[in-house]
Amino acid sequence: MPQQAAFYVTIAAMVVVAAVTMLAGLYGAKMRSTSNFLDAARTLGPRWNAAAISGQYLSAASFLGVAGLVLKGGVDALWYPVGFTAGYVTLLLFVAAPLRRSGAYTLPDFVEVRLGSARLRRICTTFVIIVGWLYLVPQLQGAGLTLHEVTHQPKWVGAAVVMVIVTFNIYTGWMHSITIVQAFQYWIKLTALAVPVFVLLIHHAAEQQPPRSSLNAPSPAFTHGMDITPDRDIVLNVTEPTTVKVIGTQDGHPTNGLVRWAPAEHKVTKGTMVHFEAGTRIPVITDAAADYGAWLRPLGAGKHPLLATYSLIVALLLGTMGLPHVLGRYYTDPDGSAARRTTLLVLALLGAFYLFPIVSGWLARLYVPELLAAGNTDAALLELPGAALGKWPALVLGGLIAAGAFAAFISAATGLVVSVAGVLSTDVLPGRLRGFRAATIAAWSVPLAFMLAVSSLDLAQGVGLAFAVAASTFCPLLVLGIWWRGLTDTGAAAGILLGGGLAFAAVLPAAAGILPPEWQAVLAQPAVFTVPLAFLTMVVVSRRTSDRVPGDVSRILLRLHAPDRLGLSEDRDFGQSGPRAGLTAAALPRMRGGRHRR
Amino acid sequence: MSTAESAGTASSGRASDPWTAAHASAEFATLRTRLRGFVFPMTAFFLVWYFLYVLLAAFAPHFMAIKVVGNVNIGLIFGLLQFVSTFAITTIYVRFANRYLDPVSNRIREHVEGGSW
Repeated sequence: MPQQAAFYVTIAAMVVVAAVTMLAGLYGAKMRSTSNFLDAARTLGPRWNAAAISGQYLSAASFLGVAGLVLKGGVDALWYPVGFTAGYVTLLLFVAAPLRRSGAYTLPDFVEVRLGSARLRRICTTFVIIVGWLYLVPQLQGAGLTLHEVTHQPKWVGAAVVMVIVTFNIYTGWMHSITIVQAFQYWIKLTALAVPVFVLLIHHAAEQQPPRSSLNAPSPAFTHGMDITPDRDIVLNVTEPTTVKVIGTQDGHPTNGLVRWAPAEHKVTKGTMVHFEAGTRIPVITDAAADYGAWLRPLGAGKHPLLATYSLIVALLLGTMGLPHVLGRYYTDPDGSAARRTTLLVLALLGAFYLFPIVSGWLARLYVPELLAAGNTDAALLELPGAALGKWPALVLGGLIAAGAFAAFISAATGLVVSVAGVLSTDVLPGRLRGFRAATIAAWSVPLAFMLAVSSLDLAQGVGLAFAVAASTFCPLLVLGIWWRGLTDTGAAAGILLGGGLAFAAVLPAAAGILPPEWQAVLAQPAVFTVPLAFLTMVVVSRRTSDRVPGDVSRILLRLHAPDRLGLSEDRDFGQSGPRAGLTAAALPRMRGGRHRR
Repeated sequence: MSTAESAGTASSGRASDPWTAAHASAEFATLRTRLRGFVFPMTAFFLVWYFLYVLLAAFAPHFMAIKVVGNVNIGLIFGLLQFVSTFAITTIYVRFANRYLDPVSNRIREHVEGGSW
């Protein structure tokens, strides 16, 4: 594909996406001028709100990552989209309605309302920031990858582009605050994915004799000679004697020339060029399913697949409720019944969306299996049109996919940076709006540095780390805080510090990629250990400190559980005791659009 | 930090407090029983359903590998069914809440706002 053309088409597609978004923003701003934005959002109803929640939720992991994981892991990868979706069910069943009634817009606010402890609030704040940062890393990584695939710019360029756009959005304040814009984002992402997938499916069905191996072949082979240069250290699982030409380092030996690999695991160092002849069976990275049989069979790939799968399910099911950019959205529904309808619609919208990454993962297995040897399976969606179609259809569809991917990075990153910067500016840094601007920079700097320093995880796995930490801290806090009157501030703090601290300590080296493979599988997804530990710690320590149960616990629990609107209409109680300096995530846009909540 | 601080800012313990009265009422007990009677079994059910799939994959791989249509095997169908079941669970909850939870919670609200407690 000519680089120039691909570059221009992609830029054009991005401009179109930006223009559509901006038009939606202007339309939304017009609505907002007549009343404040929350009222505007409420008159829009659950359909718009559900699309807005989905639009903000579908990030790099969903857009690019799921397709890559399906290419790599086959049926097992279905757990990611299922978990991303099902997390909303636990959120709905346990948390959404009571949290709305508490009047708290963010987790630190909730803690203050429920347990009235400033120290606990600070601990929660720290973990909100950690979760937000962990979630931002894959967004930047995805942006770097996308721009790199299209224009061969170094990875930091794409990350920088996203940072500039998002920061501009936040400073001008027109994007994140408006339901209608986020709702549009959902439809843009769906279109950018659905159209290419349909075209590719039709193309595949129309092929008389698929040029690539079908799923019935034992395992894919290179259709033509190909050079592969992994951008990180990889271990290839070679299943038959294979002769390759290597320039660089393989199995620890500097090599320049032909090498015959025996069937075994072979290590290829980052930046090494490996040339495969046509007809060679494609060796796959060790955590991928080696052949089609394993690919189609659950638990067919990776080390400790059973444990890793359970852990993943726990993290995704319980982590969604702790994501800083998800909770605030529920306030735009006028009552509990609308919030429930919204959640149902969110599930439908997410389910519909995830069909497409799953199908494209399968198409990628047919058309770009060589990504399994290079290890960069996240690029599957981006490389599909070029490999399957060629010429201008590939250009157009590739541009569309890249633009949709950027929409995903931008909307997810906006919500996250607003959340993190909001918490930083109110709870950590001094000052107010000036503080918020400085905080925006601070919110970026850490994930950017991290993304530049390490890139050992796939996008969806990277997001999984954020879910694991959220599930090990905020899930027990919310569930026990809402459902158990015996929770004390000391118990909550102990649970969060132990569960969240261990989860963070486990995922950090996993994300940095410094662990041996057998540890990597366990530590990269620790939720199955840390979540029960956090629950247990909270209960045990709370029992020990039962004299610290707040005196008004009955009143608070009633407000959380009983009557809709009772809690919301009366800022008279929680007005004073609740969201102190409530200028966090959801509150900032409110500041701009008008201070009033109702 | 003191115990007084952790007790929050609310004026706790007033006997005439409508909140305390409402909390002690039969309606609130009903609401709580109904909600818990639904939410906890349902959660147990869907966790078991998800974990069952993984257990089948681990211990009955041949069953999961049975091909139904072309390359589509039972494992894949089960995997896709997880989406359907997630949606079904939510639908059931929404109906349950609309039918059995909202009326009770509306009654409590009327009592509290009407000052009958």
